[in-house]
Amino acid sequence: MDKQTKIFEILEARNRQDKSLDVSVDAGYTEEEIPAPSPRFEKLINIYYQMKNTIDMEIPYWYNRVWWENEGDVPEIRRAKAYGAALAHTTPTIWPGELLVMNKTKNWRGAFPFPWVDASFFNAQAEALLAEAEAPALAEADRMSVVGAGGGNVTESYGNVVSIAQKFGLRKEEVPILVKISRYWDNCSIEVVTQKYSEAIPDYYKYKAYRDTVLVMFDSWAIPQGREIINYYMPLEYGFDRIIEMCDEKIAEILGLAENGDGLLGMSRGYYYMAMKEITKGLSAWADNYGKRAESLAECEPDPQQKKEYEDIAVVMHNIAHKQPSTFREALQLTFLCHLAVVNEDPQSGQSIGRLGQVLQPFYEKDLEDGTITEEEAIELLELYRIKITSIECFASSGVTGGVLSGNTFNNLSLGGLARDGLTAVTPLEYLIVEAGTRARTTQPTLSVLYDEKTPEEFLMKAARCCKGGQGYPAWMNNQCGMNYMLRHYHDEGMTVEDARAWCLGGCLESSPGCFLPLHYNGKTTWIPGGAAPTAGTGIHFTGLPKLLELVLTNGVDKRTGIKVFEPHNRELKTMDDVWDVWMDYMTELCDISLKVNNIQMDIWRKNNPPVVASLLKPDCFTKGQTLSNMGCRYNSTINFESCGTVTFINAMASLKKNVFDEKKYTLDEMMDALEHNFGFKTAFETGVFSPDRREATDEAVKYEKIFTDCVNAPKFGNADPYVDDLMVHYEDLMTALMPTLKSYYGKPLYMCQISVSTHGPQGAITLASADGRLAGVTYADGSVSPAANTDKNGIYAVFTSATCYDHSRNQNAQMNVKIHPSAVAGINGTRKLLDVIRAYMRKGGFHVQFNITSSKTLREAQKKPDDYRDLMVRVAGFTQYWCEIGKPIQDEVIYRTEYEM
Amino acid sequence: MSAEPTGMIFDIQSYSVHDGPGCRTNVFFTGCPLKCRWCANPESWRPKLQFMFADRVCKWDQGCKACRDACPHGSIQFDENGKPSVDWKICNDCETIECTTSCAAGALKQTVRIMTVSDLVNTLRRDYNNWGSDGGVTFTGGEPLLHHEYLDAVLKECKKLSMHTAIETSGYATEEVFMKIFRRLDFAFVDVKNMDPEAHKWGTGVSNERILNNIRALKRSGWPGRLVLRQPTIHGFNDSDENAKRLIEFMNENGLYEINLLKFHRLGQTKWEQLGKEYEYSDHGDMTPERMSELQDLYLDNNIACYVGDDTPF
Repeated sequence: MDKQTKIFEILEARNRQDKSLDVSVDAGYTEEEIPAPSPRFEKLINIYYQMKNTIDMEIPYWYNRVWWENEGDVPEIRRAKAYGAALAHTTPTIWPGELLVMNKTKNWRGAFPFPWVDASFFNAQAEALLAEAEAPALAEADRMSVVGAGGGNVTESYGNVVSIAQKFGLRKEEVPILVKISRYWDNCSIEVVTQKYSEAIPDYYKYKAYRDTVLVMFDSWAIPQGREIINYYMPLEYGFDRIIEMCDEKIAEILGLAENGDGLLGMSRGYYYMAMKEITKGLSAWADNYGKRAESLAECEPDPQQKKEYEDIAVVMHNIAHKQPSTFREALQLTFLCHLAVVNEDPQSGQSIGRLGQVLQPFYEKDLEDGTITEEEAIELLELYRIKITSIECFASSGVTGGVLSGNTFNNLSLGGLARDGLTAVTPLEYLIVEAGTRARTTQPTLSVLYDEKTPEEFLMKAARCCKGGQGYPAWMNNQCGMNYMLRHYHDEGMTVEDARAWCLGGCLESSPGCFLPLHYNGKTTWIPGGAAPTAGTGIHFTGLPKLLELVLTNGVDKRTGIKVFEPHNRELKTMDDVWDVWMDYMTELCDISLKVNNIQMDIWRKNNPPVVASLLKPDCFTKGQTLSNMGCRYNSTINFESCGTVTFINAMASLKKNVFDEKKYTLDEMMDALEHNFGFKTAFETGVFSPDRREATDEAVKYEKIFTDCVNAPKFGNADPYVDDLMVHYEDLMTALMPTLKSYYGKPLYMCQISVSTHGPQGAITLASADGRLAGVTYADGSVSPAANTDKNGIYAVFTSATCYDHSRNQNAQMNVKIHPSAVAGINGTRKLLDVIRAYMRKGGFHVQFNITSSKTLREAQKKPDDYRDLMVRVAGFTQYWCEIGKPIQDEVIYRTEYEM
Repeated sequence: MSAEPTGMIFDIQSYSVHDGPGCRTNVFFTGCPLKCRWCANPESWRPKLQFMFADRVCKWDQGCKACRDACPHGSIQFDENGKPSVDWKICNDCETIECTTSCAAGALKQTVRIMTVSDLVNTLRRDYNNWGSDGGVTFTGGEPLLHHEYLDAVLKECKKLSMHTAIETSGYATEEVFMKIFRRLDFAFVDVKNMDPEAHKWGTGVSNERILNNIRALKRSGWPGRLVLRQPTIHGFNDSDENAKRLIEFMNENGLYEINLLKFHRLGQTKWEQLGKEYEYSDHGDMTPERMSELQDLYLDNNIACYVGDDTPF
């Protein structure tokens, strides 16, 4: 008899009735081991780990060729033809052992540039690139030394490969293609056209100052799609052939007619359906080509099992090229096809998968009924799906890919929440998605649980168990908070309670609206959720709140660059109210000007580059006959204002309040002097360490010792201290009042998006020391309600109290990161206690919480020896990434975050 | 009317998951009548305001000397490298600890807070929202029973609010105090460090007689709570079969059937140094996992549910 059984016997004999005993008598209180992923997954993921990030020119070549062949055509049709041709001409590649197939390009891992969006980068480097392409290959020894660290990133050129944007490798023979294609777009890329019109704004020079000082982080055109939820309904319901027929029917019916006197867009409907027909043909041909490739591979394959697998792939691909899927595997493959098709039509990140386990449940259910699939087979497919999604890369400029995204493309998969009928939406398939994510740990898709009091406990326990794997997912979202936000913000567009239930995450943390649509399959009707809006995140981009405060204190001048960012306010700041006033004046001006520029950028994008696949998939585009550009979607007030460094800003305000205004220990000039002199320490750039626990004194340190100590010891957010928390409330009040006054290019009000993604690294880097005692260049506190690293002294419950000092459903999100030591959550009781802490936060109305359950020791070790930790993953902001592929400033910040270890 | 009693608390830890059922808030009292040679929280011995000097987090190596004028008694001195040290002869009697506000690194750290009943109860009320259905508050230390008047007042408020209450105690108090506090407790860990009175006295400075008597009295009283004995298991001190057998006998006599053996650890060592004390268990006392497992079997064979370390069913 084992020890646990004996213990339970003793306790039972004593009539000890513990709840925790009741649930665990069978399993014991040590959890059962997590099964290993399937051998097929192991084999393929190990190949993935060897893969380098590539750029491939096939799609740009065909897009460019067909685009110019159709010069003068209607933009949406021209684009559908160009992109459809690109898909139809992509070389299909299939690897032995795959069950799910397809990639972004012909390479497994990689992307391609979009010169029609942004060509200046390549045009500027054309000569250098060509020279590099002609340079002799380096010796093998040099090649190896370069490839060592950094996972799949190609940070430097080697051998026959040229490094692009310090991340991707391009084969030398393809360099001339890139250079040639880019020339076509020298005068007409989205970047260039938006630049031209933005410059016509009288205050454009101010926007330029925001960008040049990195006060605002990047441009909207750089990633015009994403941060939204995809919708797989159309192809799952109809299949491509039927969609083409429906387009023909619509063309016959309405081409040449304006709708009900809509003289502006009525005529567009005809062109819309013609465009949809073109792109659907391209999608179908793309799928068929994979089928043909599989057939040809099967023909020459000697191994009977592999031959059979190729044949099966051929059947799947040919079927989904035309019809509604007939199995779970076909349905999964079709959703993946659609996903790639959307992410390939624009540079993008955060194209979220949505609630896939609810969308595909009818297909899985039928296969189970038919006895054609087992749970284990479904799990294997879902494991392979994880590799496929992890392999999705985004090519944007280096600043966007590395600085903002840390290389992740945020294909978020949501679980749970409520169904259309208001009951829990959890499906049996969602258990398997969690299981696959627990066994097969990859960075993507990251999982998010929409926590609702109606979510079954056993599902929550399973998700909590998954969380303990240390890979950072699932994140936990408050379903009621999300629904309240939907009803509040989309009320004016007619948001109903039913549609509010369809929300989930687009991107890492961008709550996005959805809707339910009736899927007819297996003799019944199932209302499946999906996205119902365009991008939720192309408004005013990452704005460094502490940097803005710095500019208030420097009278509008950026001390780092000497750039005058704002007109001098020349006000003597005598009270906290004065500081708030000037800060809000600057913020308002920044918003007004940035908004105009971003509106132009996105307007030019939607007019010149109207998305076609997204316009096919998003409800109600097909019903209305309008593209996403023409507000075809059901909900359109999706554009946001993104902030960064909220807690660093609040802490700096608290220190000013205490040290300068309330206790008057220092004058504002003394404070400013200390900040400008970095409290007498070397900057993070001088020391190379971006973590707050490293300080190197200069000769001046003595002079600032006292003020530095007082700044560090000033009240900090996250300690349930109203002195600071009230400042947070005030900030939220001011900003939620400002937002609706700003109108997006859709003419709809903006709202706040409070996520840092990875911008707290670069924006921290350009910010002087701040009054909270943070030194110059040090990474900001991440998230929007997590305390600054190591400043929460009253424990996690106090953190939760501070974090929920205002109603989170006022905004799109509120980000909370928590690091827990693995020992605190060991065993089945540990899982329950992890769920207890999640529930505690959800009960308080916390919008989001995510966990890094990895010890700092492990992370430090991995920083030293990246090769030994190739598969180690951490949660960065709203997403999970391989540790070795994250930049050092963010690594330092993650290590330093407070760890709860009991 | 007498003033509201105050307690000396050296730490409040939320989301404590190994000190009773569910998720808990641990309240650490300062002051202890025992002086265990292996103690992991030596800063909790004396019931007075005090501080610790953590030279590992001190930023002297980065050129910091911010504490140079912080001590009015001249206790802080710097060596030729600029590394500070404190003179514990001066500091041991200090009641004011001005130095702790001078440090930005947290190296000079105040370890005790004086809290009124309502201070503490308000903190617990805040945390009450987070515990979940199983959790609650655990009073530990130090020795919480040393502050029985204050503790009783806090517990009274906790019970008014229907909080789940637990204690971790050495059990060293008068029977009257012990019984007074326990009537408001749902759950208790009582340490039995050694069954031999002499050995107990050697290890902890006091005999075990009073502790064992308190446990007997508690069981006689029909107290409805759950009592789990705890034993820090230390090689060469209380890890013999003989000691275990005597404890089993004691438990059987008193109808006790749960014990939690905690493998000796050295996590408190740096605190001894930070308090200017010498730590004698720096190189012995370690238990092998095999021996822990043997001891566990010994208890299990005698129908006593024995848990090792954190691996408990609650």
